[in-house]
Parts: sequence; C-alpha cells; structure tokens
Amino acid sequence: MISIGIDAGAATTKAVVLRDNEIAGYTIIPTGFDFRKAGEKAFEEVLSNCGISESKVGTILATGYGRNSIGFADKTISEITAHARGVGYLIPAAHTIIDIGGQDSKVISTENGKVVDFLMNDRCAAGTGKFLEYTAKALEISLDELGTLALVSKNPANISSMCTVFAESEVISLRAQKTKKEDIAAGLIESIILRTTAMVKKLGIKPEVAFVGGVAKNPGVVKAFEKALDIAVLLPEEPQITGALGAALLV
Amino acid sequence: MVEDGIFLKSLDLFKEAFPGRINQILKSKEEGKKIIGTLCLYVPDELIYACGADRVILCGGRSATIAAAEEYLPRNLCPLIKSSFGSVIDQKCSKTKSCPHFGLVDLIVAEATCDGKKKMYELMDKYIPTYVMDLPQKPENQNAQEYYIKELESLKDVLEKLTGNKITDAQLRNEIKSANETRKLLHAIYELRKIDSPPIRGTEMLKVLQQMHFLSPGEFRKNLVLLLDELKLKKRENSGPRIMISGCPMAAGNMKVPEIIENRGGLIVAEESCTGTRAFWDLVDEKKEPMKAIAERYLKIPCACMYPNERRINQILKLAGDFNVDGVVYYTLQFCHGYNVEKYRVGEALKKSGIPLLSIETDYSGADTEQIKTRVDAFLEMLE
Repeated sequence: MISIGIDAGAATTKAVVLRDNEIAGYTIIPTGFDFRKAGEKAFEEVLSNCGISESKVGTILATGYGRNSIGFADKTISEITAHARGVGYLIPAAHTIIDIGGQDSKVISTENGKVVDFLMNDRCAAGTGKFLEYTAKALEISLDELGTLALVSKNPANISSMCTVFAESEVISLRAQKTKKEDIAAGLIESIILRTTAMVKKLGIKPEVAFVGGVAKNPGVVKAFEKALDIAVLLPEEPQITGALGAALLV
Repeated sequence: MVEDGIFLKSLDLFKEAFPGRINQILKSKEEGKKIIGTLCLYVPDELIYACGADRVILCGGRSATIAAAEEYLPRNLCPLIKSSFGSVIDQKCSKTKSCPHFGLVDLIVAEATCDGKKKMYELMDKYIPTYVMDLPQKPENQNAQEYYIKELESLKDVLEKLTGNKITDAQLRNEIKSANETRKLLHAIYELRKIDSPPIRGTEMLKVLQQMHFLSPGEFRKNLVLLLDELKLKKRENSGPRIMISGCPMAAGNMKVPEIIENRGGLIVAEESCTGTRAFWDLVDEKKEPMKAIAERYLKIPCACMYPNERRINQILKLAGDFNVDGVVYYTLQFCHGYNVEKYRVGEALKKSGIPLLSIETDYSGADTEQIKTRVDAFLEMLE
C-alpha cells in the first residue's frame, strides 16, 4: 500500500511517500506564494524520485499551514497531530517534541505517537525560523553561517527584543557598538531558545526530547537548546519531514 | 460538528431585532424616556428599569472602529475597550455611523472594573456624560456588600435626578421578578445543552446572549420563551467533542473563535463568560430587601478583576462536570490582564481534574485565523 503525506508549510513544502509502512522517499521544496502549486510540485517530484506512478498511490493526506489549499488530498490533519505521529515512528522514545518552523514554534507532549497536550506560539514570528532569517540578514551572513558562527562565541550578546523587527534594530545597535559578529549570532540564538524553553517548561519536559522543523538543522540552536534544557536533544535524520511522514502514517 | 440542516425559526427574532430596537429607542426618547448605556454586568438592570429608563449595552465586538479609537488610546489595549470607544468617536465624526445607538444614549453608567476601562471612561465622558460606579475589589470582604449598596444608592440618586422619577421598592421588586424570569429561562435553555445531542449550538446560543442587554428585557424574554418552546420540540443531531468556552466576553460582532471551533467539528455546550453563564447564573432573592438582595446577587459575578476569585475556578470545574465537557477553550482578549493572568490557575485546576485545555489569546482582527484553526484542529483531534 502506498500513501503520501504532504506538509504545506509556511516556508517549505514537504512530501513523503510511504510504501508498506516504510519511507520510500521524500522531497523538500520552497513553498513560494501558492500553497496549491507547491503541493502539486512536491507530489510530482516525490513520485518521480521514487519511480512510482500516480495510479499506484492510495491515500493522500495534507497537513501544515496550507493544508486546506491542497485540493487533491483526501483528508487534512493538523501538523501538531502529524508531527506527534511522525516523531513517534522515527523516535519512539520521544515524549516531548519541539518543532520550530518558518512561521511558528510548537511544543508537543506525546504518548505513543498521540498528542496529550501542546503549546503553540502566538501570532507573530518571534522565536521562529523567520526570526533567524531576518536577523541573519542584518548580520550579512547566511542562515547556515549564523549557526556555525554562534558556536565559536565566548560571550553571547544580550538580545532582549522578542519581536523580529525590533531584534533587527537591536542587532544594528550592537554592530554600532562594535560587538563581535559571533557574539551577536549567539545572542540571537539564545533569544529564540529563551522563548521556546519557556514553552517547554510550561508544558513540562518528559524525556526524551525530540527537536524537529527547519530550525533543528541549525547546529548552534541545537547546542544552545541542550544547554538550556540540560538534556540531550534527539534529532531525526531529516528533521523537516516528520509532519509529512506523520500525515502519510495517519491515512 | 455535523450540521443537520434543521434551523431554529425563533433565532431569527434575535437576529432581526436590531432595526426594530433602534426605532423603539427613538420612540421612547420622543416620549421623554432616558436612555442609559452600560458596558458591564455589575451595573444592575433592575435599577435602570425601575426608574423608567431604558438601556442598551455599548460593548464593541467589531474591529471596524478600532483604528479610529487608536488616535486616542494606546495600541496595546484590549480590543473591546478600543472598539467601544471607537464607536463613540466614529459617531461624532458621523462618517461611518458604526454604532447608531451610541448617539441615542443620555448617560453612560460605567463601572470601576479593569484599569483600561476606567481610564477610557475619562475620555468617553467628553463625548457622552459618563457616570462611573465603584465596585469593591474584594467582594468577599465583610464590608464589601455594604459598600456596594452605598454605590447603588448613589446610582439610584443619579438615575432619579436624570429621569425625574423616584425608584420605589415596589418597582424594584417588580424588576427583580422580571429579571429573574429571564434568568430562569436561560437556565432552562442551558439545561437542554447538557444532553448528548443538544438542540442548540454554541454559535447560535452566543448570538442570543449577545442580544441580552441590547434588546429591552421584555422583548428578550418574549423571544426566549419562543426559543425554549422550539428547542423542546426539535430533535437535532449535533455532535462532536463537547467544548466549554471560558474567559473574556464576546461582544456582538465578535464570533471569530466560536465559529472556528464549530466549523472545525467541535460542539460548544457552555460559555463561562459575560456573554454566557456570568450574565444570568445567580438569581436575586425576591424575599429579601431589594437593594440588599441585588447587591448580594451582583457581587457573586466571578469577574477576573476581583480578588480573590476562587469562586470562578470552582464554577468552571462545576460547569465542566455538569455539561459533560471534553475540553475547555480558554479565550482571552489581548491585554486583558485579569483573565490572562487568571488563566494559569484555571489551567492548573483543570489539569488536576483531567480536563484538557486550549488557550487562545486574540483580538478582533483576522490575522491569526489560520493559526487558531491549526490549534483548534489539533485540540479536537486530541479529544477525539
């Protein structure tokens, strides 16, 4: 049996093919403006990657911010339920999931791949991938560089603004004060950690802790999380696909 | 929640009441009646009607008037306060006529509840005469009731001066009786929401309650009788996880969160809010001396601006049990400190009782609709 999960995220669209309960392949593409188009493209791409024809596909389940725009999906499910299921499959020992995506951050408490409780950040993009993207721009470095640069900092700058736009202004003031670039980078990551750690503590940490979503690919953030939570954080091989995988598993 | 295609005819009576009510107020004014505007449940209707005045609720639930209000009020302020004030400003500019009944009000009887409202009233007074009655912030204190009665006496003087009518005990007793009738009818309707497939959905009930202090008490009561009759006759298939909303008021025009909950498959069976149980739960004791009985009843309203407020937590737990609730959606307006801070203790109490909680803090804009949908979907999926 072949099922497909599509996670139409704010920044990237992910698709996972599941064949007889095994991952047959996946793809990650930028979402762009049109959720529907990105969903179609990810669908076609993942099928050709796996060499599977469309006629063989059983059920398609959509999740993510743009889930209701994926018209060809048979069903939709919230990404919170999907992540819990996907992480449950990849890391069965995980009971707490931190997901930081392009537009929001979530902390999910799970039991056997099912959601027990969850928290999600309020409307703005503070403490998300967007926050790092904007502020990296103010440092004139790429996102990847931000993470590696932060690792060498010995004296992280104190960034008090949670708001993405205000933090960008704060970065400019720090530059004017000749603060080292790596210290600003580390400070930015710490401010994200601070916000998400508060959510984790509010919900209660139940080991193991899994970290997923695009921001989990940033080594600086992972290291800072482990320090702040005082616990090793488990990462799936590809942290961005747990939502799509969960959707494919939930059909 | 699954829609069954059955409609309640009597709900149209509430929906269509707006133009008729405005004409009714205009007519009353021509006949020399005074119109009182209110913005809180702590101002007793009984006093206003006992002196022959009429009243309309002025709480704003729409985002359209907020931009106008922000010329005077800070952005970081509760949307209900901004929306209400914006209606006055807009009215004076007569550009949008967003809230025609504001222009008809002779006196606003306001109340010292939250700081945001109190300070807004100082500005409001420049446009419409505004009288603020004080409230004891520790209603369980020994002398709280005595103090509140004094405030009611002062309000009585103000109303008598405005209308030229005396408020007699007999009139007060009459008004108490009528108001209790309304409360009992609402209890009877809520009783029907306790069953497995309740005949009325939360979004429908909320629209009724949003009219409670806008319509005249007589008209509201008359419509409730018809609604109750219809509900008793009609069998409807309403299903889905049973949700109780708890938190800030949802003034007319504000349907965002309940609509999302029911459109995504939830079934709202109770509202612990000013547009819910807080508006009618306790009755005034008809045997006691009227002012004392009124004070007793109104001080029981468990508003989050009061201290301590254990009674609200107890009420939430009781309602959750009585209405067989699967999960609570704790609804707060942004910058409403009372309800936002109280959320933590309510959450702890619910956790102890094993009742799942989803907390949503929002305003009147549509900017967070998709995020709320995601959370509501996940919550409902979790409950199923």
